[in-house]
Amino acid sequence: MSEIAQTTAPAVPAMSFQQRWWPLAERAIGYGLLIFAALATITPFLWMVSTSFKTDAETFQFPPNFIPNSLVWQNYIDAIAGPDTGRQLINSLVFALGSTASNMVFCALAGYALARMQFKGKNLIFALVVGLLMVPAQSQIVPVFLIVQRIPFAGGNDWLGNGGTGLLNTYWGMILPTAATPFGIFMMRQFFSRIPVEYEESARLDGAKTFTIFWRILLPLARPAMAVLGVLSFQSAWNDFIWPLILTSQREMATLQIGLQLLQSGPDARWNVVMAMATLITLPVIIVFLFAQRYVIDGAVTSGVKG
Amino acid sequence: MALQSSTALARRPQSFTQNWSAYAFLTPALIILFLSLLLPAAATVVMSLTDISFLRPTNFVWFDNYVKLVSDGRFRQAVGNTAYYTVGVTLPTMALGLLAAVALNGKLRGRIVFRTIFYLPVLTSLIAAAVVWMYVYEPYSGPINGTLTQLGLPPQPWLQSPNLAMTSLIVMAIWRDFGTAMIIYLAGLQDIPRDIYEAARLDGAKTKDIFFRITVPMLSNVTFYLMIILIVQTFQVFGAIYVMTNGGPLGSTETIVFQMYQTAFGYTEFGYAAAMSTVLFLAILLFSIIGTKIIRRGES
Repeated sequence: MSEIAQTTAPAVPAMSFQQRWWPLAERAIGYGLLIFAALATITPFLWMVSTSFKTDAETFQFPPNFIPNSLVWQNYIDAIAGPDTGRQLINSLVFALGSTASNMVFCALAGYALARMQFKGKNLIFALVVGLLMVPAQSQIVPVFLIVQRIPFAGGNDWLGNGGTGLLNTYWGMILPTAATPFGIFMMRQFFSRIPVEYEESARLDGAKTFTIFWRILLPLARPAMAVLGVLSFQSAWNDFIWPLILTSQREMATLQIGLQLLQSGPDARWNVVMAMATLITLPVIIVFLFAQRYVIDGAVTSGVKG
Repeated sequence: MALQSSTALARRPQSFTQNWSAYAFLTPALIILFLSLLLPAAATVVMSLTDISFLRPTNFVWFDNYVKLVSDGRFRQAVGNTAYYTVGVTLPTMALGLLAAVALNGKLRGRIVFRTIFYLPVLTSLIAAAVVWMYVYEPYSGPINGTLTQLGLPPQPWLQSPNLAMTSLIVMAIWRDFGTAMIIYLAGLQDIPRDIYEAARLDGAKTKDIFFRITVPMLSNVTFYLMIILIVQTFQVFGAIYVMTNGGPLGSTETIVFQMYQTAFGYTEFGYAAAMSTVLFLAILLFSIIGTKIIRRGES
């Protein structure tokens, strides 16, 4: 190989020293910067894992050891065996799975209607969905709290929504503000629009009903989009902090995220146990992501940008 | 024959047949959007004209809350802090995202690994990230001050000093957000035709010129889109502040949404909080509309 390079090199006499070596140097610098950036990005995670294995005494050592003296698995046991952890895990799962399921059902139905059906007011409803994409959800914490509190007939409320606590401190209340999102509807609509119309037409000629066409033909075709919607919904509910914080006040309703915050801010907080808990909470989302990486990144990108 | 007629049917979108089941398909989603976004947005505006609170019967006070906001020094500080945070996070996030995307767009060895690493912080929950960074910034046993001490430099009170706390929060936000920017820029890069680059290379253009003369201008729409998302998102910052600094020290990290939360759930002054929310909402809406207009103009 090197011989060939040597014999062909003089054939291009204009190549100066700089021209020949500059691309190589550029690559080396580029790689160096990338590796530096990757290390900087991953370092907080490494500290998280490293601290989660330290003894209590080692967490107070200054400067801290990057590599722990021993692997103290007890921190993980302490985190899992905390008095509220089991309850919080159940709450987080119910909230995240409930939110995911309702998003997949409601956004798929609405997205299909907006993409493929003809009805009066279609343009208006689509414009509304797109407009709601811009409404900043977090700035609505006050009215959403009051609405959830005043749902009629729930939690001791009368028909006007007065008198009780409504859906506060319930799973329904937590799921409600996240149960369908303009983004999800928009994404599903974009996806259904791209499926060739011939699939439906032939089924319709065979006499299939609208719902049968949706359920038997369109939904199976939409599996990749549903996977993206599912993963994104699960991730955002599992990681959510603001709605559980505002819509629940009872200890029994706290999710893992709230639990981690309470653990960290508590009077006898131990960095090693806090970090073990943080590691445990972060892992499921990372694992789901690694399996669905292709789908999620491509889906998030195509629906978010090019749509 | 049958096939022909079916395609003829499909190619005739003018034939309007009202499909009533569409409303059944849409109703559940629309009820949720109504309860979680539309009604709250309308309720916020109405509430902002009242003194609604758990403390007293509700009265209409019209624009009193807004008048109060204008002269409220604490709110003005929160607006300033929010603006500083927004600019501080948005610009570096976009720059880093763009650089990472350009570096990882080619056939670079290990690009999937780099991409995954850069995207990991996006997946981390806000609370997990906040807790980890509180440890990283910890003044007496944290790794940053540990490293500084080992290098013979003075340790800093990262989250405990009014001068440093906001900047420390900004650094963490950039770490969490630049993966999103990278992914969106990567998608934008896919749309730039390859032959433009090949032509430029044949003409002997330098990497720097290709980046500034081709890549950056071709991505201007993506840049605007990303800027809007990031600004809308960072404008509403709350969770990190609630967990890491609680608005302190000396109100140096108090942002609009944080103050809104305190006003509503701390002092139960829902009316006044709603006025803050309306101001924030209008600012974001105005910004989104202007941004969308600019993108549309760029596309046509």
